[in-house]
Formats: sequence, structure tokens, C-alpha cells
Amino acid sequence: MNRLSPYIECAHIGFVNILAFRLRYFTGIFTYLINVTVYYFIWTAVFRNATGPIAGYDLTQILTYVSVGWILRSFYWNTVDQEMSYEVLEGKIAMELIRPLSVQGMWIARAAGESTFRLLLLTAPTALLVILLFPVRAPASAAHLALFCAAALGSFAIVGGINFLIGTCAIYLTSILALIRAKFWLMELLSGVLIPISFFPGWAKSVLAWLPFEHIAYTPLQIYLGKIGTREAALLLVAQWAWAAALAWLGALWWRASIRKITIHGG
Amino acid sequence: MPTQPLILVRDLSKHFRTFKRRPGIWGGIQNLFVRDYKTVQAVDRVTFDVAQGEMVGYIGPNGAGKSTTIKMLTGILVPSSGEVRVGGFVPWRERTNYVRTIGVVFGQRTQLWWDIAVIESFHLLRKMYGVVQRDFDERMALFGEILGLREYLHTPVRKLSLGERMRCDLAAALLHNPPLLFLDEPTIGLDVVARDHIRKFLLAVNERFRTTVLLTTHDLDDIEALCRRIIIIDRGRLLYDGPLELLKQRLLRTKQVKFVMRDAAARARLQALPIDGLQMQTVDELTCRVRFDRTRVDTSDLVRQVLSRVEVRDLVIEDESIEDVVKRIYAGEALREVSLQ
Repeated sequence: MNRLSPYIECAHIGFVNILAFRLRYFTGIFTYLINVTVYYFIWTAVFRNATGPIAGYDLTQILTYVSVGWILRSFYWNTVDQEMSYEVLEGKIAMELIRPLSVQGMWIARAAGESTFRLLLLTAPTALLVILLFPVRAPASAAHLALFCAAALGSFAIVGGINFLIGTCAIYLTSILALIRAKFWLMELLSGVLIPISFFPGWAKSVLAWLPFEHIAYTPLQIYLGKIGTREAALLLVAQWAWAAALAWLGALWWRASIRKITIHGG
Repeated sequence: MPTQPLILVRDLSKHFRTFKRRPGIWGGIQNLFVRDYKTVQAVDRVTFDVAQGEMVGYIGPNGAGKSTTIKMLTGILVPSSGEVRVGGFVPWRERTNYVRTIGVVFGQRTQLWWDIAVIESFHLLRKMYGVVQRDFDERMALFGEILGLREYLHTPVRKLSLGERMRCDLAAALLHNPPLLFLDEPTIGLDVVARDHIRKFLLAVNERFRTTVLLTTHDLDDIEALCRRIIIIDRGRLLYDGPLELLKQRLLRTKQVKFVMRDAAARARLQALPIDGLQMQTVDELTCRVRFDRTRVDTSDLVRQVLSRVEVRDLVIEDESIEDVVKRIYAGEALREVSLQ
């Protein structure tokens, strides 16, 4: 516990720092609502001429999928990669290195603080509004809801792990803006937050099964909708957390290899 | 005293590989495919020791490799070759344990959190380093007293002036009472009062806790006030390592005496005196500056001779400033005059 408490302080800093950008979060609620609305109209248009379910989804299922998907995304999202590249560019990373803590641990803790803030001030109000405005189904069962919550934490851990890996690239590339943008669209598409993975062609599905991305949104949403039983859900959860652990481990290795290359200019 | 030095640096080198950009559009296209790398030797086989309790000034012109050395000593950068041991640690290898034993202040950056009150930053650091509340309160009281922190402890860092921020950063670096303190240009951009505060604080800390201090600076007054020993480095190479006093004795060879005469005729008579090795410079109608080599001309002898022959209203004896000496060292001309060790 004692070894963990400094990281809890880092999470606290992440939380407090965001307080300074409160306005961004209030406009964030609006942005997420617009996203859900857009997908609401797209999917209702898609299903207008459909005779039955598409790829195993009927209209209310897909609308629930999209709505809960965006609510989930409002929680797991973070900008660790952007902040890291900024700190490397500005040389501020030196100040992280003089602290008696793991740099990776500090960033993940800060992201956790940020996500806690998001949960309270972005996810909760967005969820409330989305549930009021759109036909969102309740979770399949209480057990499914509990598993979904555990999977949401896993989504955060995977996104944090990926972002730390991308952020570390800044040590080599200085400007990773293009990389961050590429990762953004790749993650939006492959996580399943835009379209369920079951809509993808067969070969894409089998490739994605070997990657961590679908565990970001598709896995928790499958669980929420009850597309799979609790047993299978628990297994998926294990796979998801194994990915989270693997990404954290890769991040640690990548950071350790990269730190030897770091150059800090000026001052 | 065959004790192990606190800081041990042997043949420390760091080179950076940067790539040369070709100018123009065509050059830009070429850059995409072929890159010309250039190796910059930032620190080149530097060797020195620092003993416990010493205050050492690490000086050199811009781009000499001072900051790069400090960053290697603090575990931020990994050296290209050479050896560093500080208090038994290899800094970059055991970084998280090592940094608990040092304090670091970079004059151009802050380690405090920008948007939260200073005192909150201190509390966060206290928890990060696991400092007991009682020790924390004791140190805060001491720092508050010498640095005058109390008035702005509840202000967010972004609202502080540079001098206030620097004082807070110093306190932050010493909160966990490290035996060793690295300062990289701690007085840069500060006014005279703030500089004075910081110097007094460093002296007090050194005396009270026997804290070892290694500082880089461009301000030689800092050095004169704080350090008995200096290390000079330029283009990555060590130029001088020894007592400041010795450097002064060996290099402060030119002395000057300013004579103020009764009238212009007296000044002319002074300038016509047949004494060897004098360099005369007319300051104004009544004033004349006489420069000479201290090792060849005896100052009191010169003054006696002048006073006995011409009527002098006033005289001032001046040394060459340490600043000028360092400038000469950087220019390379004074090197021959000092043999290392």
C-alpha cells in the first residue's frame, strides 16, 4: 500500500489538473450527444429496408450498442500519448525523470485520475442524457452488468497501454502528431465503437481476434448486450486483462529501451 | 583521508547524433531518403571527484556541456561511455532509488505543478518521497524563515514571479533532505535581491546539513559567494579543476591603478615617467589608468615612485575581474598560463 500511495497522488494530480479545463468537459457532453445522434440516424436509415437482423443485431440492439459504446468511450479515453510527446518536445520529461517513481506508472496513474474525473463529470451526465433521449436497453442481467463494469476498467487499461507505447515513440520521432492521428482512426474503427466487429468480413474478424483493439469496445459491449453467456464473458474478460498486462509489459520494455536514446535540448 | 568521494566521474562522454538538414525543396526531398548524420561530442572524457560537503562551481560558456553533464549525473541521460558513481549508485541504472538521495533544480524549468498552490505541491512531494510529517513541518519552518516563502505558499505556481518560483523550487528540491544537490543555473534571470536570498540559503543549507552542492552558472558572483572550487569545461572538455583562489592568483596577473591628478599637466608628467612595463590609458583629462603585470612590477613600489615624483589627488588599486579571466579562458589564451594540477 505504501508503495502505491505516491501513484495515488499522481492520480490526484491528474484529477486536479483537469479541473482547470472544466469547460472542455461540459462541451464534451454535447459532442458525445451529437455523435450518438448521428449514429442513431445512420442506423435507423440502414435498418429501414432491412427484413431481419443484420449480422446478428436488430435495430434496438444496434442503437443500444452505439449509445453504450459512446458512453463507454467517454470513460476510457485519454491523451497520454499527446501529453508525453509534448513533454518530450519541451524537454519537460526531465522533470519526470527526477522523481523517485516509475515514469510509466506516473502516466497511467495520471490517466486514471483523468478517467475518474471523466466518469463523474462526463460519463455520468452523458449516460443520463443518452438514456433519456434514445431507446437504450437495460443490460442483459445483473451479472452481465458487473462483468461489463470490469471490462470497462480493462478498456481503460488497454487504451492507456497503447497510448503509452505511442507516446514513447516521441523520443525517436520528436513529433508524433501523424502517428497519434493514425492511431486515433485505427482505434476508433478496430475497437468496434463505430461498427460492431461482427459486421466486418470474415478474414478481418480472424485477424482482429489476434489484436487487442476489439477488447476496447466490442468485448464490453457484447457483454452488456448479453450476446454471450456469463461464462464466455468471464473468459473474454480474462483475455482482455491479459492483453492489458501484456501491453503494460511491452510499454515497460519499450520505455527502458528508448530512454537510452533520449536527448533533452536546452536548459 | 582515503574515503570514497561522493561523486566519482571517470572519462565521462556523451555524444549526440543529429542529422544535417539540406536546405531548400530539393534538399528536403533528399532528406527523406538519405540522411547525413553528424556526431556532436557534448561531453568528452571528463573526469573529476567531489567530496561530501563540498560546494563546486561547474562553469563554461553556452553549449560547453554543463547541462549535459548534470543530466548524466542526475540519471536523466545515459552516457555514451565512461563511469559515474554517486553515493554508490550508477544514476541511470538505479534511477528511482538514486533520485531519492539527490535534489535537483533546473533554473529554466520547474518541478512544481503549474496549476495548484505551492503548498499543495509540497504536500504531494512529501508523500512521493515518504517524508514524515514532523520532519516536513520542521524543514518548512526553516525554509520559510531563510527563503521567505510564507507569503505566497497558497498561490498557484503560474502566478509566481521568477524569483519566487525559484525559491519554491529550491525548497522542493530539499524537502526530502538529500545529501546532494544539483543546481543548473539557479539564478538565471533573477534580480539582485533574489540572487542574494538564494546564495544565503545555499550557504545555510550547506553549513547546517553538510549538503554537497554542484552548481552550474553564468554568474561569477554566485561562484565567488559559494564555491571554493571550480571546474571549467568548454566544448565538452575539462579545462580547469581546482581552487578558485589558485586560478585567480595564476591568472589575475594584470593589476591596474587609477590615478586622479591635480591638473592635466600633472597627468602628462605621470604618463611620461620612465618606468618599464607600464601601460598608460587616459580616462579623462585628470584621470589616468596604469596597467601592469603584477609579477614584474611591484604595486607598492610603483605607487611610491609615482607619489614621490608627481602630485596625485586620489588613487584606486583594482584587480582584473574574475569575469575577464574566465572570458580569457574561454577564448583559449589563458590556458597556457595554467598547468592543470
